[in-house]
Amino acid sequence: MSEIQKLRNIGISAHIDSGKTTLTERILFYTKRIFAIHEVKGKDGVGATMDSMELERERGITIASAATHCEWKGHRVNIIDTPGHVDFTIEVERALRVMDGAVLILCSVGGVQSQSITVDRQMNRYGVPRIAFINKCDRSGADPYKVVDQLRQRLNHNAVLMQIPIGVEADLRGVVDLVAMKALYFEGPHGEEIRVDDIPDSLIKEALARREELLDAASMFSDELMESIFEDRVTEDLIREAVRKGSISRMLTPVFMGSAYKNIGVQPLLDGVTQYLPSPEEIQNKALDLDKDEAEILLTADPGLPVVALAFKLEVTPYGQLTYLRIYQGSLKKGDDLVITRTGKKIKVGRLVRMHADQMEDLTSARAGDIIALFGVECYSGDTFTDGRLNYTMSSMFVPAPVISLSITPADIKSQNNMSKALNRFVREDPTFKSHVDEESGETIISGMGELHLEVYVERMKREFGANVTTGMPQVAYREAITRQAAFDYIHKKQTGGSGQYGRVAGFMEPSEEGAFEFVNQIKGGAIPTEYIPAVEKGFRSCLEKGLAVGFPVVGMRITINDGKSHSVDSSELAFSQAAIGAFKQAYRKAVPVILEPVMKVAVEGPSEFQGNVMGSINQRRGLIISATEDGNFTTIEAEVPLSEMFGYATVLRSLTQGKAEFTMEFSKYVKLPESLAEELKAELSMRKKGEKK
Amino acid sequence: MKDFISVSPLKILEKSSKGGLGAGHLGVLMARAGVGKTACLIHIAFDKIFRGEKLVHISLEEGPEKVASYYNVIYSDLLKALRWEDDDEYRFLMERNRMILAYLNQSFDLARLSASLRNLAERLDFRPNALIIDGLDFEAAGRSMFEGLKKAAGKFQVEVWLSALSHRHISEVNDNGIPYPCHEIDDLLSIIIQLQPERSGVLLKLLKDQDRYPRPVQSIALDPNTFLALP
Repeated sequence: MSEIQKLRNIGISAHIDSGKTTLTERILFYTKRIFAIHEVKGKDGVGATMDSMELERERGITIASAATHCEWKGHRVNIIDTPGHVDFTIEVERALRVMDGAVLILCSVGGVQSQSITVDRQMNRYGVPRIAFINKCDRSGADPYKVVDQLRQRLNHNAVLMQIPIGVEADLRGVVDLVAMKALYFEGPHGEEIRVDDIPDSLIKEALARREELLDAASMFSDELMESIFEDRVTEDLIREAVRKGSISRMLTPVFMGSAYKNIGVQPLLDGVTQYLPSPEEIQNKALDLDKDEAEILLTADPGLPVVALAFKLEVTPYGQLTYLRIYQGSLKKGDDLVITRTGKKIKVGRLVRMHADQMEDLTSARAGDIIALFGVECYSGDTFTDGRLNYTMSSMFVPAPVISLSITPADIKSQNNMSKALNRFVREDPTFKSHVDEESGETIISGMGELHLEVYVERMKREFGANVTTGMPQVAYREAITRQAAFDYIHKKQTGGSGQYGRVAGFMEPSEEGAFEFVNQIKGGAIPTEYIPAVEKGFRSCLEKGLAVGFPVVGMRITINDGKSHSVDSSELAFSQAAIGAFKQAYRKAVPVILEPVMKVAVEGPSEFQGNVMGSINQRRGLIISATEDGNFTTIEAEVPLSEMFGYATVLRSLTQGKAEFTMEFSKYVKLPESLAEELKAELSMRKKGEKK
Repeated sequence: MKDFISVSPLKILEKSSKGGLGAGHLGVLMARAGVGKTACLIHIAFDKIFRGEKLVHISLEEGPEKVASYYNVIYSDLLKALRWEDDDEYRFLMERNRMILAYLNQSFDLARLSASLRNLAERLDFRPNALIIDGLDFEAAGRSMFEGLKKAAGKFQVEVWLSALSHRHISEVNDNGIPYPCHEIDDLLSIIIQLQPERSGVLLKLLKDQDRYPRPVQSIALDPNTFLALP
């Protein structure tokens, strides 16, 4: 097996409380990267190794993704830690982008929860093959079989058990490996010694039945296995090969189980990672060739080809800025020159390191498939690096537009300086986080994907940058859109001595389904000379930033120009750009603009007894309930709710359900704001403007 | 709308004595596995939705996402078959008039159903005209379940359509010619329709129509891909 075939880049993805950090910690322990085990909220004050940020340590959750490297039975494994909260979507999606496979952790008590569904959806979007680990089988109420059913029903996975538990809840003692048909017990102070034994008599029947299911499922991917089943000569290798094929093609999800906390089942899961998840060679990665009109190019994980790498994470460490890179093609060594595709700027590879959470290992070179970090490189997260021979960019990532904003005011001069430093940093790290200064009020506005998203950045400003800021009320990012077609025919003419200005632009604007602005040029016979067309488009684009109805950005518009006129002396780019602005103003009102508001997809999950309360609370918030799913004693309610109605919902939900329900939300779409509310909003905005003038 | 009736599998009820199922009644669509019960039920659902009536789709096997995607697939088949333009109005009706309730892992029972229907009415003012229950295991459910459903149908003023799974190897039939698994609850059911795969396509047979057992059995042919009535 070649070097790269023995490399795995994996993510560990899970619901917040399913024990991801504990599992990661155990993996690092068994792979001998760390020599002591800490709990997440460590009584010893050290905290688990992967949670590198202070804030995360305190909250016991993981916010930023870090990559860490370890070795298992001759394989090299890079673990990309992914945030558990949906509000940090871009962090999750970036991490998904660079991983070749993932371990989906599920809690054997809580099962597939709403957040697992969101994360699973994201993984599908990026085509990430995965294996599942049902954790916490030692907890009371643990039911791994129920969780497998949920994987099938709620996430549509073709899930197949690779193991069954020996005992559950407090009696959990080990697992039965259904491939080898052996019982595995984890002994020694930290479960590092695995004792292989015969399957206990009481479990033989169950084990045979589940193995039958495994063979049935696996044989779909291998004719050889199918034949060997008929001829009764099944071997372990044949099963593994078939499961591997199924898993890599994402048609099969092998399921492992145990309890990371009790040190049960972690090593077989590591075997599963090396056996059933793909190497970088087995995954297709594409780049866009900017020299060929962004044509898609398949990258090959060949160290001999020109280098293509993606910066997927920036981190500030006490030693300077650290840039995490995934190398997709070619190789890198100390002293090499790299070019950032976005800026064309050349950088030199200084220190090249491999990260293990907070500690690092210096390298002299790295090759395709590797995940490494560079020191002191000025770039943005999401930047593509090449050696300058290629003009590639990794296909543009799906970046949702921010839906909520907040004004922030620094407490003093020192905080003000620190705040700008912090904002500068955050904007580079996270494309869904934006900041600007409002022209009218002079306030600094930050915007992002949700209340918690912004809250965490405000916290980080205080802790990491020492910037004390006060925040205003959260504001929803409204948009404007037109609802009808309207024609324009506008002449911009100015003669005030010297050379004049002249340009005529005619055509129409209409609503378009696509969110982005479309500009269609149907000018024939040079009615507007070709060299002025970009100026016309620029003029129109400048009008989109602030709609004329209320002043929100305009979305979903197509403008077609089909006629015009120019003057041999007085026409200029400026004149045509002014003509376009005039034309926009002329037609916009006629096109009946409306205000759009962001609507979120909300999933609330809690005990069924609170179904009525939850439904009522969503209905009061102008929400539309799409479905209710009961499973055991839990109900999940899915709904679409305007973001403006969701402020403070966490508190309301807590009091309605005695703190037993939780909710997640992600942006769904922009929808027209009802007329009466639009009027209220306009009144409120004009009041605010008057207030500011005073 | 008129063209929709002409292709809907519900066309079979046009000839029926009362022209439909009606509130307080139970109707069953039975077939062997994989013949197309869910698709047919969704056609029944569209018939209600497009008339502006409200509907609750209850799924006992699939999660809501999958159910919703069945609706979308069948909706686009319908558009193609009827040469309709995709219309916001239809989608709006689908969003507003349909509620999906899923009861996974044997969590369905009458008390929960009643609680959910009450919640929908009281909290959301969503009062359905029809329920579709897909995936109920008739044999395991037992007679009391159907008595309870009929009572609930009367109380909430809804008509209830159920799918029933029949098996090739079980050939029990009662005196009225009603086969397994409906043969023992025949008296509680007002309409029984059987879907039968034939070489030429799928045949929809009306086995029971209110209190009549039509002889000869009336039937219409369905397109095996779209489950729309063939002309």
